[in-house]
Amino acid sequence: MNTSRHQLVSPLQLVALATAGIILLPLGYVTAQALSADPAVWSRLWATRIPELLFNTVSLAGSVSVITLVLGVSTAWLVTRVEFPARRLWEGALVLPLAMPTYVLAYVYSYLLGFGGPVEHLWQLVAGPQARIFSPHSYWGATLVMALDTFPFVYLLSRSALLSMNVSFEEVARASGVSRLSTLWRVTLPLMRPSIAAGVALVILYVVSDFGAVSLLRYQTLTYAVFQQMTGRSDNTAASILSLLLVALALIFLITERWFRQRSRFYQTTGRYRAPQRRQYGWLGTAAVTGYLGLIIGTAFALPTLLLIQWSLSPEAQATLDSRFFGFVWNSGILAACAATGGVLIGLPLAYLASRRPTVLNLSCLQAAYAGYVLPGPVAALAVLVLFTKLAPVFYGSVLILIVAYVIHFLPAGLQSLEPALQHMSPNLEEVARTLGLGMRDTWRRVTLPLIRNGFVVAWVLIFLQTMKELPATLLLRPVGFDTLAIRVWMEASEEYYQLAAPSALLIVFLSLPALALLVSKDWRAA
Amino acid sequence: MAFVCSVPTLCRTILSSLLLLFAAGIFVPSAPAADTLTIYSGRSERLIKPVLDAFTAKTGIQIELLSSGTTELVNRLKAEGDRTSADLFITNDAGSLELARGAGLLHPLNMREIERAIPAQFRAPDNAWVGLSGRFWIVVYNNTMVKPDQIKSLLDLADPKWKDKIAIPNSGSEYLQAGVSVIRSTYGDEKTRQFLQGLKTNADNQVYQKSSQIVDAVAKGQVALGIVNHYYVYRHLAAQPGAPIAVVMPDQQEGGMGAIMNVAGVGVIKSTKRLDSAKLLVEFLVAQAGQKLFADLDKEYPLHQDVKADPALVERKSFRAALVPLSKLAELREPTITLIEQVGLR
Repeated sequence: MNTSRHQLVSPLQLVALATAGIILLPLGYVTAQALSADPAVWSRLWATRIPELLFNTVSLAGSVSVITLVLGVSTAWLVTRVEFPARRLWEGALVLPLAMPTYVLAYVYSYLLGFGGPVEHLWQLVAGPQARIFSPHSYWGATLVMALDTFPFVYLLSRSALLSMNVSFEEVARASGVSRLSTLWRVTLPLMRPSIAAGVALVILYVVSDFGAVSLLRYQTLTYAVFQQMTGRSDNTAASILSLLLVALALIFLITERWFRQRSRFYQTTGRYRAPQRRQYGWLGTAAVTGYLGLIIGTAFALPTLLLIQWSLSPEAQATLDSRFFGFVWNSGILAACAATGGVLIGLPLAYLASRRPTVLNLSCLQAAYAGYVLPGPVAALAVLVLFTKLAPVFYGSVLILIVAYVIHFLPAGLQSLEPALQHMSPNLEEVARTLGLGMRDTWRRVTLPLIRNGFVVAWVLIFLQTMKELPATLLLRPVGFDTLAIRVWMEASEEYYQLAAPSALLIVFLSLPALALLVSKDWRAA
Repeated sequence: MAFVCSVPTLCRTILSSLLLLFAAGIFVPSAPAADTLTIYSGRSERLIKPVLDAFTAKTGIQIELLSSGTTELVNRLKAEGDRTSADLFITNDAGSLELARGAGLLHPLNMREIERAIPAQFRAPDNAWVGLSGRFWIVVYNNTMVKPDQIKSLLDLADPKWKDKIAIPNSGSEYLQAGVSVIRSTYGDEKTRQFLQGLKTNADNQVYQKSSQIVDAVAKGQVALGIVNHYYVYRHLAAQPGAPIAVVMPDQQEGGMGAIMNVAGVGVIKSTKRLDSAKLLVEFLVAQAGQKLFADLDKEYPLHQDVKADPALVERKSFRAALVPLSKLAELREPTITLIEQVGLR
């Protein structure tokens, strides 16, 4: 038995090591390229671009996190502490914005809020014909779009904190004569703090690495600048330098998020758990709550979706639904399927080893795989590009290079569901199967795999959907004839052909919906 | 292999599906069928696809098109080397074509058809790239906001009176880089720097990724003026004849530098295995019929002497072009980019 176990482990170990290598190597190359760059390039970037880019990126992250904090916590509090008609429906609807890729929301809003657009016309009816509203192609435009798109992260984390919180604390405060508002401020919110912080850190990570919205709204952030450097310059030095800064920035927020998430695990509902009491509001309160939630979901999901449907039904859009369009659908599907399969295949040995033989080596391999979190799309593309041109130029311009970029980028999303699936399954089950005389193969087939199947499927679906929506890496690495739905949306939307972009955008949104159900029930963090 | 055997069901299914994909040959750059040409195009798909479709209709040769950024495609061609699946490279900027030629990516052509159709100043000496259509930097203005005599020269646009009234392309666009190169070689670095600084202040965040957006912004009155290639204006006017926009052909005053010209052009990739088909396409593009398509569809100035530009355009003979040769745009590029970055244009 020892020998067979040995046989199983060492090749697995090799696979895990190779995987970690494949993931870290590109990052290493980019870092090396950035650090070995001519100091003149560094100082030129410091003097011209870096301060502006850092300021833009950080201030966008700041304003988005404040708004998502308010939206996320207030909506979570309403659905867990107040009783109103169709509450459960609202509870589910509040995650819908996650189905909307940022670039889709950005392009819808650049129409709605654009110069001479419908919102401005409405405003001019009120404020006179010369009145102007703020341009969507600005700091505030980017803030609005990113906040509407990402507040469900904070909502979901706050909601589960509110649901799992021990209500006795609040009851004690109320019994001691503390007012409702004061209880909320002094008891409930402090207890929620770690969850809220984790949610906000996640939002920031998302904002910092977003490419789609900022490129369509022409708001200069580090991620966007990396893309521009890669497409506008004949060497990648400046792009690597900006990438390195971006990775460092993302790393800070990733560590923050993890730290707070660790802490949020510490408080348990000791003693008896009771569901929190929901207050019944009068008709005025109900109307106010419904109006508030309706406004949020309307602006973040319903209105954009209706607009996309209307555009998709226009004759211009209908004319694009030819065999070429189905080619794009097929490309999206095949690329996403390859990436999902690759990601799951690579993720499984990593997660398996880390949970069954948690040696330092195995655990570090697993952590290395999480590097994708700090590699925004353009950086992942740059890293893979640099690696392949150095080591295996034969694959340049092939599908493989694109799939490697996807796998590196989205492996964390897959691991998020593979890891718990393996951890929840006790190794005893496998051992029992072995003692009862089942061979290695049969144990895997009849015990391990059926037990982890759900985690496996969820991981696959998650990577599939992420890949389907992915924009910057696809733009930079796609081979000839591999335009995807996301690419079409971006190409048409960036020239403001709103109708032509709509069918692809709508399809992406609809395909994301079933996965959202999975996310909410399982592992929504990876969205 | 032990790993493979130890998790048989899972791996067998997945590996076999992967092998299937391998068999389908999608993991290595595929060699398309003999009657298909692969084109890397830095021109927006909208502007080039109709012309290529006409070629397919005429010859039956299919076209596989990869539309992307010009510089990005040159980088890609360099990295792919002989393995590239591209047969031709079409782009908007003579400087980029010349850079590709300098890097040995393009195949010299010895074709009478080219020499007869396209004047020598619009192609490489060895015909490794051939200009197909001419375009000029113009100032587009909203005629409800600006009077045509307010602008004589591009350099006027740096005047503080245009603060927040002007839209410009982003600094990554090759046509902006080419234009600035021409200004540099005419007026020198210092004057160019002042011009760019003024332009940057005046445009502020009205920096656009696409020229069509600039024309749109001017037509809507969001800004008063914009710098674009001329044909975007005429394409906009063709779609919306009533739009309140008009064109100034800049720098025509006594002693002025003349309008900044660039060409869109094509080059055959050195490693192509379909040289005959590729030559057929070049022949199609330089011939009268092909040149007429560029003139009619894209509103550019055809380079073939016998083909007339769209009558809506400013008569070509009525204005002067700047005297900087197209092939010089390549060597001017790097210092221009450095200057643009020093000024901090977006």
